[in-house]
Amino acid sequence: MTTLTGHGLAVELPRGWDGAIFRRDPDPQERAAGGRETPVVHAANFPLPSDRGDFGSGAVEIMGRSGVLVCLVEYESASATTALFARRGLPRAIAPDDYATHTLQRPMAGQGGVQMFFHERDRAFCLYVVIGSHRRRRILAPVADGLLQGLRIT
Amino acid sequence: MTALVVALAVVVALLTVLVVGLLRAHAEVLKALHELGLDDVLDPAVEGMRIRTRPGVARPRATGTRQGHDIVGSSVDGGAVQVAVVGVEHLTLVAFLSSGCLTCGTFWEAFADPGRRQLPGVDTRLVIVTKGPEAESPSRLAQLAPPGVTTVASSVAWDDYDVPVSPYFLLVDGVSGTIVGEGAAASWNQVRDLLGQAMADSGLTPDGRRSPASEATGVARDQRIDEELARAGIRPGDPRLFLPSAETETETRS
Repeated sequence: MTTLTGHGLAVELPRGWDGAIFRRDPDPQERAAGGRETPVVHAANFPLPSDRGDFGSGAVEIMGRSGVLVCLVEYESASATTALFARRGLPRAIAPDDYATHTLQRPMAGQGGVQMFFHERDRAFCLYVVIGSHRRRRILAPVADGLLQGLRIT
Repeated sequence: MTALVVALAVVVALLTVLVVGLLRAHAEVLKALHELGLDDVLDPAVEGMRIRTRPGVARPRATGTRQGHDIVGSSVDGGAVQVAVVGVEHLTLVAFLSSGCLTCGTFWEAFADPGRRQLPGVDTRLVIVTKGPEAESPSRLAQLAPPGVTTVASSVAWDDYDVPVSPYFLLVDGVSGTIVGEGAAASWNQVRDLLGQAMADSGLTPDGRRSPASEATGVARDQRIDEELARAGIRPGDPRLFLPSAETETETRS
């Protein structure tokens, strides 16, 4: 098991998982408001393509039915006190029935996803998890939970 | 009776002539090798350069199975990255390149063209690995890194794979976690030919699957058995691999 660290984040990657911690460019609206680069964590149990969006566009198109993609995207710390990020702490487990087919950033047939906003250590985050088959969510949700157990905000 | 003795004498005489002829031919071969300065070929005690390669060309490695390693390093944008190479279902072609070597330029260009970077196997993944930021210019790598190809800067990976020279290529079977083929070449076509041959030698079909024949026999079968035992927590030397002898069984029962 390898631990990737960077930008105040760490993720333990199980055998066979790809992972990356990098900084994302703020979109023009964020930049105009003084936004800066913020970190992103990607982890997947399938090969992550080099060209992909913060919420996994480019990756979800190639994931198979057993695929799991976890994205942790940080927002400006000023957002941490807003209502959207009111939830406290990184979720460590996601119930299978919390996954839905209509919550996908990029709708793909058969896939399921879940999006949760929260704050931790005065930092604001969005956790976004995609599973390759919504019908297999009872099998795949624990796989995602296994990754979440090793995700840390330091 | 006399005829039988005569016949036997003739056969013995013929065999003697044959053996003398073979010994003489063998002596001539030895003499010729000696004149060529290749005495070491015949002496198993002599270590070292049995095969000489041209300067700049990596020497073949010793035979035997080598294990692959996941690649951990930094991406061209400076982030931390891990590329899983073992414990996955696909083959990974790891291309060790540098920004400075002339031959590497051929491969940077070839990989930048999606039409030219046809890989052996159906779902083979290409990963370019350069040395880390202490040995390579990050800005130069950012210019060279081909769009659509995972590029990782990792000196650790160079050490893990014991890379002798750049450019250097390794094909790793993610299922067995072993290196299927490796070598250096001057052009992408040469690399593809070498890797195709290595796949065939390892019992992999051209699409990267294990051939039915290799599953049933040979190295691939041994690897498969080892993998299945390892998954069950049984390693070499595990007592469960050895059936109890009748004597031991009797003692246990009594």
